Amino acid sequence: MIKYLKEYRFYIILFLFILIPIIAIDTSTRAPRDYRFYDRIIVAGTAPIQTSISWLIDQITSGFQNYIYLWNTRKDNAILLEENRKLLNLIANLRETQQENLRLRKLLNFEEKFHIESIPARVIAKDVSTEFRAIRINRGERSGVQKNMAVVTNEGIVGRVLRTTPNTADVVTILDLLSAVDAIDERSRARGVVEGLTDETCQLRYVLRTDDIQIGDVLISGALGGIFPKGVPIGLVSKVNRKPFGISQEVEVRPSVDFSKLEEVLVVTNASSEFITAANPGSSATSTAPLSPQKPAQTTTQTLKGATSQ
Amino acid sequence: MTRLLLRALNAPALILLVAFGVAIQTSLFACWPLSYFQPDVVLIAVIWCALRRNFTEGGILVLIAAEIAEIHSAAPRGVFHITYMLLYLLVRGASKLFVIPDLASFIIVTLFGSIFSKFSNMTVLHYLAPHTSQWRNTLFLLFPGAAVEGFAAIWLYRWLEKFDALTFKDKRTEESLENELQLQDEGF
Repeated sequence: MIKYLKEYRFYIILFLFILIPIIAIDTSTRAPRDYRFYDRIIVAGTAPIQTSISWLIDQITSGFQNYIYLWNTRKDNAILLEENRKLLNLIANLRETQQENLRLRKLLNFEEKFHIESIPARVIAKDVSTEFRAIRINRGERSGVQKNMAVVTNEGIVGRVLRTTPNTADVVTILDLLSAVDAIDERSRARGVVEGLTDETCQLRYVLRTDDIQIGDVLISGALGGIFPKGVPIGLVSKVNRKPFGISQEVEVRPSVDFSKLEEVLVVTNASSEFITAANPGSSATSTAPLSPQKPAQTTTQTLKGATSQ
Repeated sequence: MTRLLLRALNAPALILLVAFGVAIQTSLFACWPLSYFQPDVVLIAVIWCALRRNFTEGGILVLIAAEIAEIHSAAPRGVFHITYMLLYLLVRGASKLFVIPDLASFIIVTLFGSIFSKFSNMTVLHYLAPHTSQWRNTLFLLFPGAAVEGFAAIWLYRWLEKFDALTFKDKRTEESLENELQLQDEGF
C-alpha cells in the first residue's frame, strides 16, 4: 500500500490539488459563506496592515488635497474678494442711483407743481471760502443757463445764478450775505426780504414790527424781483425778535433746503409769466428788471437725462 | 542550525509575505485611479512557487495563497483556488517543456499568467453567474493589468530571490547547505 502511495505520490497529490478547489466551490454553494478560524487568523494579520496603509494614504491624500485646496482657496479668495468689491461698488452705485432717482422724481414733481421749465443740474463744487456760500453746478451757457436764473429744488429755493461759463454756473445760495429774496409769510401774508446770515440760517428783513410773524411760519417766494417763481418755499421762521421800538422786527429763518445735502438742483429757465415780472440782475429783490430767458428753454425730459449724464 | 531554522521558516514567512502583499495590494491600490493598476501579488507568488518550489510544497503554498486571496475578495469561494491551482499546474508543466531560467522569462510567464488568470476567473464566474458586462470589464483591463503585473514582477521576483537567499531556499545555498550537512554527517 505504502509502495503504491510512494509510486503514485505525484498523481495522488495532483488529484488532491485539483480536488480541494472543487470541494471549496462545492461547499460554498451548500453552506453560507463565512470566515473560518484560519481565515480569521489571516484577516487578523492583514487587517491592521490594511488599516495602517489606508490611514497613511488618507493622510497623504488629504494633506495633498488640503494643500491643493488651500492653494485654490487662495486664488478663489482673491477672486471672491475682487468680486465682492465689485458687487459692493455696484450696490453702492445702485443705491446712489435709487436715491438720485428719488430726488429727480421729486424735482420733476416740483417742476410740474409750479409750472416751470427748468434744467436739472448737479452740484459739483462749493465755495472756496466759508464766508461766501455759493455752489457750482454742472450746467452752463451751453445748456441754456444764464445769469440771475432761479435755482430751486423740490424742497425750496436754493439761490440764483451768479455767473456762468459754457459748462458750469455759479449759484449764490440764499444763505449768502449778498443774496436777497422777496418773501411772503404764507399764513399772514406779511412781506419781507430773506437774506443770508449763517451756514444754516437766513434772516427776514424789512418786516414791519406790526406784521404778524410767528415761529414756524412758512415763508414762500414772492413775485417781486422776478427771479424766483412765486410760491416756492424758502424756509420756516425759527426765531422772532420783536422789539418794543423801531420799524422792523428781527426774524430768523431756517431754509427749507438742506444745503448740507444738496446734490441736484433745477435751474428755472422759464416760469409762468405771472410770476416773472421784472428783475434787475445783481440788485436787490425789490428792484425790477425783465427776466426773460435769452435762449429757448429745453424740455424737462431732455434735461433730466442730461443732468445725470454730466 | 540557524540556516536550517531559517529554511524551515521560509514557507511560513512566504505566507506572511503574501498576506502582507495582499494587504498592501488591497489597501494601497484601493483608491481611484490606482485600482486600475492593481498588481496581483498572489499570482506572482504562485508563479514563484511553481518555478522555485517542489511540487507538494508549492501546491500547498498555492492553496494557502489562494485562500488568502479569497478571504480578501468577494469572489465566490473556490474561484481563486481553482484559478491559481490551474495556473500553478500549467506553469509547472510549462517549466518541464520550456526553459525558464532567469528574471526576463519569469516576467514573460507572469504576463501570460496574468492574462490566463483573468480569463480563468471569468470562465469560472461565467459558469457561476454569467454576465456580459463582466467580460467587457475584464477585456478592458486585461492588457493594462498584465503590463502592471509584469512591471511589478520585476521587483517582486528580485525581492523573492533575496528572500530565498536569506532563508537558504534558493538552489545555490540549498546545495551548499546540503553539502555541508552531508560533510557533517560524514564527520568532517
